[in-house]
Amino acid sequence: MGTKEKISPRQFAILVILCAIGTPILIIPATLTSIAKQDGWIAACLGIAISLVLVRLYIAVGNLQSEKSLFAVIEHVLGSWLGKAVNLAIVFFCLVTASEVLYFIGNFMTTQIMQTTPMQAINILFAIVVMMGMRLGIESLARSAELLFPVFVLLILVLAVFTTPQIHLERLQPVMETNMKSMAWATMYFIGTFSLTSFLLLTVFPSDMDSPQAASKGFYRGMLIAGLVLVVIIVLSITVLGTDMTARQTYPSYALAKKINVGHFLQRIEIVMAIMWFITIFYRMAFYVYGALLGMKQLFHLKDYRPLVWPVGMLLVALSMLVHPNVMHSEEYNRSVWVPFVSTYGLYLPILLLIVHAIRRKK
Amino acid sequence: MKETKGKKTPPAQANSQDQAIKTKPIMPSLQDNLELIRSQLGNSSDIVIRELSYPGGDGLALAVVYTDGLADKQSVSEFILESAMLRDQMTRGEGGDAVRVSPQTLVNQVLSISDTRDVPNYGSLFNALLSGETIVLVDGYASAIAAGTRGWRDRGINETLTETVVRGPKEAFTETLRTNTAMIRRKIKDPNLWLETRQIGRVTETDVAIMFIKGIADDKVVEEVRQRLDRIDIDGILESGYIEELIQDETYTPFPTVYNSERPDVVAAELLEGKIAILVDGTPMVLIVPALFVSFLHAAEDYYHRFDISTLIRILRYIGVFIALFGPSLYVAITTYHQEMLPTQLLYSLAAQREGIPFPAFIEAIMMEVAFEILREAGLRMPRTIGPAVSIVGTLVIGQAAVEAGIISAAMVIVVSTTAIASFVFPSYSLANTMRMLRFPLMGLAATFGLYGIIIGTFAIVLHVSSLRSFGVPYMSPFAPLILSDQKDAIFRIPHWAQFARPRLINRNNRKRQQKPSSAKPKP
Repeated sequence: MGTKEKISPRQFAILVILCAIGTPILIIPATLTSIAKQDGWIAACLGIAISLVLVRLYIAVGNLQSEKSLFAVIEHVLGSWLGKAVNLAIVFFCLVTASEVLYFIGNFMTTQIMQTTPMQAINILFAIVVMMGMRLGIESLARSAELLFPVFVLLILVLAVFTTPQIHLERLQPVMETNMKSMAWATMYFIGTFSLTSFLLLTVFPSDMDSPQAASKGFYRGMLIAGLVLVVIIVLSITVLGTDMTARQTYPSYALAKKINVGHFLQRIEIVMAIMWFITIFYRMAFYVYGALLGMKQLFHLKDYRPLVWPVGMLLVALSMLVHPNVMHSEEYNRSVWVPFVSTYGLYLPILLLIVHAIRRKK
Repeated sequence: MKETKGKKTPPAQANSQDQAIKTKPIMPSLQDNLELIRSQLGNSSDIVIRELSYPGGDGLALAVVYTDGLADKQSVSEFILESAMLRDQMTRGEGGDAVRVSPQTLVNQVLSISDTRDVPNYGSLFNALLSGETIVLVDGYASAIAAGTRGWRDRGINETLTETVVRGPKEAFTETLRTNTAMIRRKIKDPNLWLETRQIGRVTETDVAIMFIKGIADDKVVEEVRQRLDRIDIDGILESGYIEELIQDETYTPFPTVYNSERPDVVAAELLEGKIAILVDGTPMVLIVPALFVSFLHAAEDYYHRFDISTLIRILRYIGVFIALFGPSLYVAITTYHQEMLPTQLLYSLAAQREGIPFPAFIEAIMMEVAFEILREAGLRMPRTIGPAVSIVGTLVIGQAAVEAGIISAAMVIVVSTTAIASFVFPSYSLANTMRMLRFPLMGLAATFGLYGIIIGTFAIVLHVSSLRSFGVPYMSPFAPLILSDQKDAIFRIPHWAQFARPRLINRNNRKRQQKPSSAKPKP
């Protein structure tokens, strides 16, 4: 009764939501409000619209060779040597970014919650579960996402509902005050952290779907829901904390969660709220690591990526300690390097693939 | 699917001589046959050999062999010995000569017992003899008759001890396989209820029966069960736990992936859902596969009470799972790392209680949990008569005295006892054990990493259960993969008239429970 690992459309939509929300849910309000002030949420809305176009692009790339994974498609379209070089670059991107996520978790925990615990310990623990998920395979990962999704929804609802009493809608005014340049920049930043990384979902889409057609719909739907969740979080941050406070926080959503207060009994539950960030960050990191592992499998012509899991896990923990020397470096990296870096893979590469494919087919 | 990891057994213990005996055909000479039976069984005193001869005949004509205690003596003497002797009087020839009776005539005209069969060789002869049948051997014929005279002392049908109900049938399975299959048949009178028996265990030759409803159960799963049972190569099966461990999908998991029950109504209900029951002779515990996580939280009574209260009780059980799993670790994490979460008044009172306690919360929790587990284990193993003594010592020493002596805080006693009670709300003991085992690593994580540790531990558990399968069916269905139509009987239990379909992943072809859904709903 050996069944090939398959993901249902619903599971895929959930994976899209969790991956796209990922790390941005914690930090994006700060960056957007610092660039576009109280209009950050408009940038996010624009970003969602563009993201849906991006999803169209990704689906087109996925359908080039629907039974193969992203890396096999790249090798097929770009040829063996160039394809391998590009794959190597993607593996590098995945490894660096995954270790960055790990750094992010460690930094968040050690600065906000457990100041005396060494960052290494936190990173190792997180890496262990991600790697455990990798060993169990993508199907188990998809099912676990299905189990954890209700928890995530519940926590988002609690956060949204219990902060409503402190909303000051006038903090959104004046609307559309920002100039076009910073609005465009904010939108680009939003897309960079929110949807451009979703090209890694092509590692499972559509090759591991049990019905690719329905999964494409799930892709759009997931992206839309994830975007709306982020808009809600941004709006809440701006209206509850205020533009200045939001822009100044490293983790504005965490600051938002601290504001929850129900009858002076249910208060300071931000650590419970943190569960939702752990869930989304877990799946985002899982996809970076999956990308790295699958890319290595393709590069070295392995039958299975599982022997690589623990070595890569150790590598990631070590990298996470080196990737950013301090928070300032991380901030600077996110603001200046990240958007061009990710768009190389998330935007230019898919377009390149489509063009090359079209040219080669004509010949 | 992973192959079942069969326990490695030493190379066949039965040597070639034993094998030769097993396939050796019955000999024509009665004397030789009896000699061989005696020598093979080592003249065991519980083997009764009754030899009959015809007056005037040349020596022995007939022998009746049975095992004392396993065969029903009354049927042996009434239906075999008596009929053989009376018949002998009647068939005596005109001149008083003995007429040789062939085994065929014996079966057809003489023996008045209902159930007989031919045994071709010694293997099946010994098997029949040692499972309580009576062997009839006739001189001059190279065959033997096994007559069904099984009848031994058994416990009788008692009230269930492990799965008690307020409403519903009270009977439980017994140690006798035949009684158990009959109890299931009494509930399902459908000709499609099929029963397959095989003998497993080279030495014990235990009867193991597979029961399923043809047409409802998935043929592939039935075939898989057959294959896995046939793969078993072990010297003895003494309880269904042996079978469970030998056929389950994944050995290294704290979660049970085979369901067991001692209630005939539960087994009947599961059969109706398309599952397969595995009955093992000698134990009242019947295995049911495929098992899903949710079935361990469903009690038989859920279906007998009204649906609303059943649903509420089920939700209560899920809360019980949460408390049993996370209770002490949450307490440790919050009091050690996240005091800000507690309302100020509660924090003061907790801090006051903990003022004189010399241990960190984690050590306190571990001490209490271990003490509780010891008490619980002692309660199970000790002789019944000294039970009250242990409970008094437990409550007084561990509860009251420890708090008064300032070793343990009162809040910790409350937390540990709540957890303990919560772990008893599961209808299934196997799942309670899972929670028991997982509680300790979670407490360790809570003590070192606070809520972050608990979350990471939960991720690991969730990932693990998502990867489990029971006979090909995802263990966490109908939650992951989510099956909306099966939610009617997962956390909720909706009214019976609305339960149209059987679980989807278990039945792929025959899902309809009720033919006309619209007519089933009561009219207002």
